Amino acid sequence: MKIKLNNKLKYLFIAAPIVFATSCKKDFLNTSPDTALPIEDAFSTPARILSQVNGIYAGVKSGQFYGGRYLIYNDIRGEDFIVNKPNGVTGLDTWRFNVTSGTNEVVNLWGAIYAAVNRANLVIEGVAANASILTPAVAKQYVAEAKFSRALCYYSLLQLYAKPYVTDNGASLGVPLRLKGEKDLTGNDLKRSTVAEVYTQILKDLNEAEPDLALTLAATRASRNTAIGLKTRVYLSMGNLASVVTEANKIVSPTAPFTATSGVANKLETNIATVFAGSYVGNEAMLSLPMADLDAPGTQNQLAYYYNVESAGGNQEFFLNPTGILANAAFASASTDARKGLTAVVGTNTWLTKFKKPSPYTDYIPVIRYAEVLLNLAEATVTSDPVRSIALLTAVRQRSNPGYVFPATDLLPANLKNTILTERRIELLGEGFRSPDVMRLGLGFTAKSGTQGSAPAIPFNTAGYIWPISSTEVQNNKLIVQN
Amino acid sequence: MFLLLFIAGSAMAQDRTITGTVMAQEDGLPLPGVSVKIKGATGGTTTGADGKYTIRVSGRATALEFSFIGYISQTKAVGGATTINVNLISDSKTLSDVVVTGYTTQSKRDVTGSIASVSGEKLKNLPVQSFEQALAGKAAGVNIIQPNGVLNNPPVFRVRGFNSISLSSYPLIIVDGIPVFTGDQSANSAAGNALGDINPSDIESIDILKDAASSAIYGSRAANGVVVITTKKGKQGVTKINYEGWVGSTKAQNLTPLLNAAEYVQIKNEARTNIGLAPAFFLQNRSDGSQVETNWYDYAYRTATAQNHALNFSGANEKTSYYVSIGYSNQDGFILGNSFERKNGRVNLDHKLFKNVTIGTNFSYSNTLNRAPNTGSLPGQTFSTVGLGRLAIVLPPNVAAYNEDGSYNINGSAVGLGANTIASNFPNAAVLVNEDRNTSESDRLIANAYASIQIVKGLTFKTTYGIDNLKIDNNSFVNRIQGDGVSYNGGATSNYVKNSRWNWSNTLNYSNTFGDHSLGALIGAEDQYTKSDGYGATRQNVIDPFIKVYQGAFGIITPAGLVQGNNAFRSYFGSLNYDYKKRYYLSGSFRRDGYSGLSSGNKYGNFGGASAGWAISEENFYKNSGISKVLTRVKIRGSYGEVGNINIGNYPSLFLYSPGLYGADPALTFSQAGNPDLQWETSKKADVGINLEFLGGRFSLDVDYYHNNIDNLVQNAPQAPSKGVPGNAITTNIGKMYNKGFEFTLNSKNIDRENFSWSTIFTFSTLKNEVTALGNNNADVFGATSLETANITRVGYPIGSIYTVQTAGVDPATGERIFINRFGEKLRFSFQRATAARYQYLEGPNAGTNAPAIDASLDAVIDGPSIPKWFGGLDNNFRYKDFDLTIGLTFSGGNKLYYGSLAGLRDQRFWNNEKDVLNRWTTPGQVTDIPRLVYGDNTSNGSAFAQSQNVFSGNFLKVRNLALGYTLPKGLLSKYGVSNIRVYAQSSNLWIISNYPGPDPEVSVNGNSTATGNSGNLAPGVDRNSVPSGRTFTFGINVGF
Repeated sequence: MKIKLNNKLKYLFIAAPIVFATSCKKDFLNTSPDTALPIEDAFSTPARILSQVNGIYAGVKSGQFYGGRYLIYNDIRGEDFIVNKPNGVTGLDTWRFNVTSGTNEVVNLWGAIYAAVNRANLVIEGVAANASILTPAVAKQYVAEAKFSRALCYYSLLQLYAKPYVTDNGASLGVPLRLKGEKDLTGNDLKRSTVAEVYTQILKDLNEAEPDLALTLAATRASRNTAIGLKTRVYLSMGNLASVVTEANKIVSPTAPFTATSGVANKLETNIATVFAGSYVGNEAMLSLPMADLDAPGTQNQLAYYYNVESAGGNQEFFLNPTGILANAAFASASTDARKGLTAVVGTNTWLTKFKKPSPYTDYIPVIRYAEVLLNLAEATVTSDPVRSIALLTAVRQRSNPGYVFPATDLLPANLKNTILTERRIELLGEGFRSPDVMRLGLGFTAKSGTQGSAPAIPFNTAGYIWPISSTEVQNNKLIVQN
Repeated sequence: MFLLLFIAGSAMAQDRTITGTVMAQEDGLPLPGVSVKIKGATGGTTTGADGKYTIRVSGRATALEFSFIGYISQTKAVGGATTINVNLISDSKTLSDVVVTGYTTQSKRDVTGSIASVSGEKLKNLPVQSFEQALAGKAAGVNIIQPNGVLNNPPVFRVRGFNSISLSSYPLIIVDGIPVFTGDQSANSAAGNALGDINPSDIESIDILKDAASSAIYGSRAANGVVVITTKKGKQGVTKINYEGWVGSTKAQNLTPLLNAAEYVQIKNEARTNIGLAPAFFLQNRSDGSQVETNWYDYAYRTATAQNHALNFSGANEKTSYYVSIGYSNQDGFILGNSFERKNGRVNLDHKLFKNVTIGTNFSYSNTLNRAPNTGSLPGQTFSTVGLGRLAIVLPPNVAAYNEDGSYNINGSAVGLGANTIASNFPNAAVLVNEDRNTSESDRLIANAYASIQIVKGLTFKTTYGIDNLKIDNNSFVNRIQGDGVSYNGGATSNYVKNSRWNWSNTLNYSNTFGDHSLGALIGAEDQYTKSDGYGATRQNVIDPFIKVYQGAFGIITPAGLVQGNNAFRSYFGSLNYDYKKRYYLSGSFRRDGYSGLSSGNKYGNFGGASAGWAISEENFYKNSGISKVLTRVKIRGSYGEVGNINIGNYPSLFLYSPGLYGADPALTFSQAGNPDLQWETSKKADVGINLEFLGGRFSLDVDYYHNNIDNLVQNAPQAPSKGVPGNAITTNIGKMYNKGFEFTLNSKNIDRENFSWSTIFTFSTLKNEVTALGNNNADVFGATSLETANITRVGYPIGSIYTVQTAGVDPATGERIFINRFGEKLRFSFQRATAARYQYLEGPNAGTNAPAIDASLDAVIDGPSIPKWFGGLDNNFRYKDFDLTIGLTFSGGNKLYYGSLAGLRDQRFWNNEKDVLNRWTTPGQVTDIPRLVYGDNTSNGSAFAQSQNVFSGNFLKVRNLALGYTLPKGLLSKYGVSNIRVYAQSSNLWIISNYPGPDPEVSVNGNSTATGNSGNLAPGVDRNSVPSGRTFTFGINVGF
């Protein structure tokens, strides 16, 4: 009896595993993540397609790109900032023109911009393939937003990795033009298009986008006026003043108070402080990239971290050069200009406090402001329509300093352009305009120094004037030609 | 006369009773259950619980045979005696002669594959956190590189070289049949090697399966070698109790001498005045007139103490064997705030349930608490400005850590200015060490249960279910005063990760002997499922400075450390072993593995290997030849097979989109370019070897030649960044590489006398690695160490070769660094000149004119391999009466190391420098390697890009282990019931002989990482901003009851 029982138990030992094994699910080897979607589902609903459009903006908003560093690089290359924390990770070598093709700024910005380009390209293709689940207008609008974003990306690439258009009307090498979505192993090798070819593509994208974009939309996405605004910037960079005027006229009324009469009712905010505090998407904002506690720029990318004072949560990486734009009377102690209120003195240095949110640094990023468009138009009309030019300049100035009257000499035909350019530096300080402005004007970068280091003068188009192409691009794209 | 007596004696012989006691030689304790037989007769008896026996023998009986498992059998002549006492000698050789290949065991003599075995004895008493740290030099073909002195930082563990480019090259570790989690499982600066959860003193043996024939039974996971750990079991006999304990002291060794305060002030000001800047660095005096002189090493390192205790009980009878152990280890590291504390317990039980059914379990639990400051020495931390290894060498020596009132000397987010007018932007190390915390605590359950049924004689079914549950609680806190936490007013990050794995295998094993033919066969099936889930968050903005834990009040919370993933294996396998007369051997194994991470058409892969051996010494012609007296055993063997590497992550074949945020709105973005065509990385391994034994095993020599051809290499193939593919890489099968080399293992009992013995074990391995094909048309793959690239993987060269811009010393005329560009032209460099004029031609027609700037990605060249071309160990063990002495040496070389820290140590920003900077160029004609000082210069020294003057030979010889022991006389002890006591003093890492200028040429800041930015495969041999290694002295005691 006992033996029998044992034998039965024995069979149980054998049988149990076999029963268990055969009952195992057939899809034992089919696993997938619970936090990411398969590509098949990425365009499956209108909501997801909209999310993908937002995803392009999120790519532009990367802390390595427009979410922070792109603006910082463009400002610290200029003469208005002095390094306080000589740290290779936070732009020291950009500031002192010491970057190589392998410097992290050069490699990371290149990668971040093209990642956004690829997202735009994938959306353009994905919307086309799934147009049936969207209304035609919405489908067109999404493609237009993608094209707008792509144009912004290529424009940004040209500002650091290629010689300015004015050098030779764009005959120099630009960047590779990627216009198709990339997701497999093919297509690594692509030659650089010329600067002119890239600008042509940028304008093509913007012109195609303009009619299809939403007439009005919150400033965190591109609407029709946003594309027009960007075109004024692009044409100004190309020195095509007539086109700046043509485009700007679509959104700037002939006389003050200057406003956009179609699309979003863009106009200057009454107080500049409003632009950088609280309502980031008011009428002045033509494109403003949102930040949130759960969607912040990321470590060492944040504008406020670089510029703001430590007591307000900044890291005081760069201060305002006393011999730069800070020397302008608008920042003098007696000045009542509201823009002086966007700086603060700590110790012997003055710091830019325009971006003021402490960690995790959720200041929205101003990409295009109506004030810029006004100044673009003012600059474009210096010769053709000096009266309107002066009116535009005055509008920007008097918004921050209502009682201010420009000295007559500043407005003489010979000086007006300089006065406008100076106003740009005051108005757009810290918003990523200085280096592109220096370059489109055919100027050199001036020398600058502080206790923590010095940067040499870089004459127009000499070594260091533009960045090298990213070393990882050179390594993996056999058709690339280094600067 | 003798003959007569003998005849008389046998004539007188009659039936009688013989009694006696059988004891174990080593501890003098009685052995129960010993079989006692009359030679040449049937029947016999066994000893009782007290080791006593009684046996009736006939007058014709000539001898008694005593046999017992685990002991060498003895035959004693009966003569006229009525009492025969026997001391049986433990047959440790018998045990160590078995190799465990995971699913089966095999006699070492019968092995035809290449397997290195290391007995647990060799790992005993060593001041390590995990067993593999002690394997260096112990097994041919096994290379262990301890990355640095951070406690429980997993060593770079390579079996026969680096076997992958993008995937992990870490071997598969099997503990009692369970493939366990490995690698650094911590989420913060407190390194947490998963193998540190295993108490080394529980380990009976480690078998390292090196060739394909041995490892193919593990199929797709075997390409990096398989390490099979077997834990201890109870042995027949009375309960044994063992205690092993040690206490020790450890401190940092070979710290680089730095400038003192006066020298710092002199050097930094000279750099400024050389270019017309005003001095900015000054000595500071305290109110009592004394000068501030800070050795920042004192705020990073210490002399630390450690203790370790292990206690085990074991025993067995015919039905049940048991091994129960507990352990406690509490080791403080030489880095301030670095510690390792492990509590563990284990129960190993085997029980014969029925005649043919055996059940058992290996059950172990451990709790490990790792603590560390941010050392900046773990993969990815290299350029952290808060890394202690870096802070200790860059902080200004003329600035105090504390103000006179005892408060921290700080200036905003950085260390205080002192009398300097230029601030250092590095934080005060004292604050970080005191205020910041990183802990990683693991709770680990590794357990299995098995049942084995003998169906018929020779045929056994076994089912084993094992789990490895590893739960890790990571906590870190950064203060609000200094360091990373300043900008967000202090913060805490906690996350909790649950890794769980189950593995269920069923095998049918057949083994039998038919005359001269021996046959073993195994078939089996196995499922394995692994799941990881982790959640956590970062909290920032401390509400009250009192708060130092995550649970306190903070202003902000954001998710951090989220982990979610799973994978599954389904496998079928089999093996066959055959030998004829123990002369001719054949064996083969096969495994079919299915893995969830591959696409549906590619899920399954087939792997297998075969080997053959010929024991020439078993041939009659050999036995009859004269040489057989000297060369007693000769066996030649060879193997070939194909195995795989599947460390590709969970979902590499899938194209994925990740939901995220754009401000407050949903955003969906392309997050992974999958590869549905992805297949297993395969490794074709060939091995030939010979085993020689001289004078009956007094000397033995094993020689192997291996060739691993890895084709179908999985590479995270770099894509042109302008494509914008996430991560700029796509995982694909492309590329080829091989590893080949010789391995020698020499065992020698040089002298073996009762009072004096001397034995030697020598291992020597060579390794030649060459990459023969890469993705994207053989595009070079660069090995980054965070912000710096000093390694390259290029077709025709070893993986991760050192790659730097060549320098040719310092121009004696100008004191400028000389660079050599890709055209072989020499360029002088001065940071003082305008950007376009910094590089000038040194010589030739263009001498003195401006030259294009060095572009590291174009101008760098390969300096040499970074992985050692040869390595090994030499262990000598001496015993004189009750004293024993062990000297363990390890050596390694043939490679280059990139000593990036030296660039930092010569940087001409406000950073402190090494003493050698005092030899800087000052006068025309002076020959030196330190250029004229230019303030702000980060190029001449090698900070801006990697340069050849910071590349050094990696050759070294280390006195890794020196131990002197004394075993107390037995007679004295037995009165107290103690069977043996050994006390010893030991030193680890006592001495390094090397030309390497850094602290320790055994170094690798990228460790085992496979991350793109700091891959240990692509960027080995880098020493950058790392803490040094430690030197340890211990005193210990081993007691057996």
